Amino acid sequence: MKRGPHLRYVLRQAWLLVGASPWLTAVSALTIALALTLVGLFAMVQFNASRLLRELGQSLTVQVYLKDGTPPPVAAQVEQRVRGRDGVRAVRALSREQDRARNRKLLDPELLQGLDEAAIPGQPVLEVEIEAELASRGDVEALVAWTKTLHGVESVEDVAFGAEKLRLLFAGVEIARTIGFVLSIVLLASAMFFVFSTIRLSVFSRRDEIDILGLVGATPTFIRIPFLVEGVLQGLCGAVLATLLLGGLHLELRGLVRDVYMLNVPWSLLPPGMVVWLFVGGPAVGLVASGLSVGRYLRT
Amino acid sequence: MIQLYHVHKRYPNGSEALVDVTLRVREGEFVFLTGPSGAGKSTLLRLLLVMERATDGQILIGGRNIHVLRDSSIPFLRRNIGIVFQDFRLVPRRNVFDNVAIALEILGLPRREIERRVNQLLEGLRLLHRATALPGDLSGGEQQRVAIARALVNEPAILLADEPTGNLDPELAAEIMGLLTDINRHGTTVVVATHDIHLIERYGLRTLALHRGRLADDRPRQPRPVVDLPSARVSQPVALASSPLSSQAVVDPSPDGPVAVAADDFDEGGDA
Repeated sequence: MKRGPHLRYVLRQAWLLVGASPWLTAVSALTIALALTLVGLFAMVQFNASRLLRELGQSLTVQVYLKDGTPPPVAAQVEQRVRGRDGVRAVRALSREQDRARNRKLLDPELLQGLDEAAIPGQPVLEVEIEAELASRGDVEALVAWTKTLHGVESVEDVAFGAEKLRLLFAGVEIARTIGFVLSIVLLASAMFFVFSTIRLSVFSRRDEIDILGLVGATPTFIRIPFLVEGVLQGLCGAVLATLLLGGLHLELRGLVRDVYMLNVPWSLLPPGMVVWLFVGGPAVGLVASGLSVGRYLRT
Repeated sequence: MIQLYHVHKRYPNGSEALVDVTLRVREGEFVFLTGPSGAGKSTLLRLLLVMERATDGQILIGGRNIHVLRDSSIPFLRRNIGIVFQDFRLVPRRNVFDNVAIALEILGLPRREIERRVNQLLEGLRLLHRATALPGDLSGGEQQRVAIARALVNEPAILLADEPTGNLDPELAAEIMGLLTDINRHGTTVVVATHDIHLIERYGLRTLALHRGRLADDRPRQPRPVVDLPSARVSQPVALASSPLSSQAVVDPSPDGPVAVAADDFDEGGDA
């Protein structure tokens, strides 16, 4: 029957390793915590920005202005063509008078006093509502391209697409995502390197013990496990610290957004999913780093 | 129990630590391995523990060919061989109990069983009262007894000792030797590497002499001389051999020769 090292033995040895260099362990855990916090911040900014964009996308409309005097059958043809586009949720055709009435509501009543009715802009228009699911970057690009094709239709005078700005936002978020991703990799790699070095020091300080274990018949796995657990413990401490940091930051920023900027938008720097990821990511960073460190030593 | 057939050990710099060594140690035997510094005693022990691999030849332990042993099987071989060093090699951070318990922890035995066996052995070696002491607080003799306890606690078939009395005064050396012979009386095969000629003469046991990597002599067990000389270390080659430096001429030849057993299947019933 194959028997592995007892959990009690492994935890005791790992605890002794941690206790042998508590400061180094603390700094290592702090490095992981900072890396996880920054990665978590990037992820949450990304998450909240994407959610905001999705919400903006829900009010996405395209205004297709038709030339004055466009005969109803031609207008109906254009409407038909617009309706045929995938992702078009609804099309509302407004006559010149209806458009003028709508614009009138938008103008300041003081401005309307004594104003000739003909001076209020009004034009036959098709108000096109776009499906909210289309509000991702690639689809916005496709929508922009589609609106450009509408410019070519003879009876269409102009196409107003508010999502041009949305496209800029998407681009901005995309750039932020790329930068965040690269920085996350760098940060996690740095944290890993730190844990790697800490565990390596730990291994070197115990090489006499490792040699003895090897001589009395310990397998490499048996020797490695306490060091791996040490790495996991460091990662776990890092995850706890990162959770506290992000939680504190969330409370501070939430107060700032609500009380100073008077914004009542739902957002979170620490949703439950994030906590799970921190508690998976921290120990994973510790495990990989210690695995590389111990593996390297035991191979040589 | 231990068989070597034409074993060579050459290092990359060209120096030859062992040259064509052929010998056999029977089960339950007590053998001294002697020779001057650099004769190859420690190298031979290292080969038996597979801390190094022979350049050529075959080594059989318990009928199993360790020359072809897979790296992953080495730990399981070592669980059948106890090892004691001149410098004790105790873990300074672990107390006496934990140092001895190492050999059982790797087997994954229940804690209660480990406690029972370690305490029993420490009691037998008069170390139980020192169970919680750290190695640094022990005398040389006590440290060596702890090392012997660690080597014996999992009841290995073979005990190798590399200069086990080298760091001890004559009185303690005698105590350790008494302990080793007692262990041997209980059936464990014991190989003691030493260049303490007085120790060898005092016990009159079978002695294998190495000189410049060759097996220079194989002196059988003598009637135990009643010589109670204090042990003294010698730096000269041990003059046991009157024959030329030919290992072939003096070994215990095996009639059946080397057995090419592809036996790398040591009991892997321990931990992962």
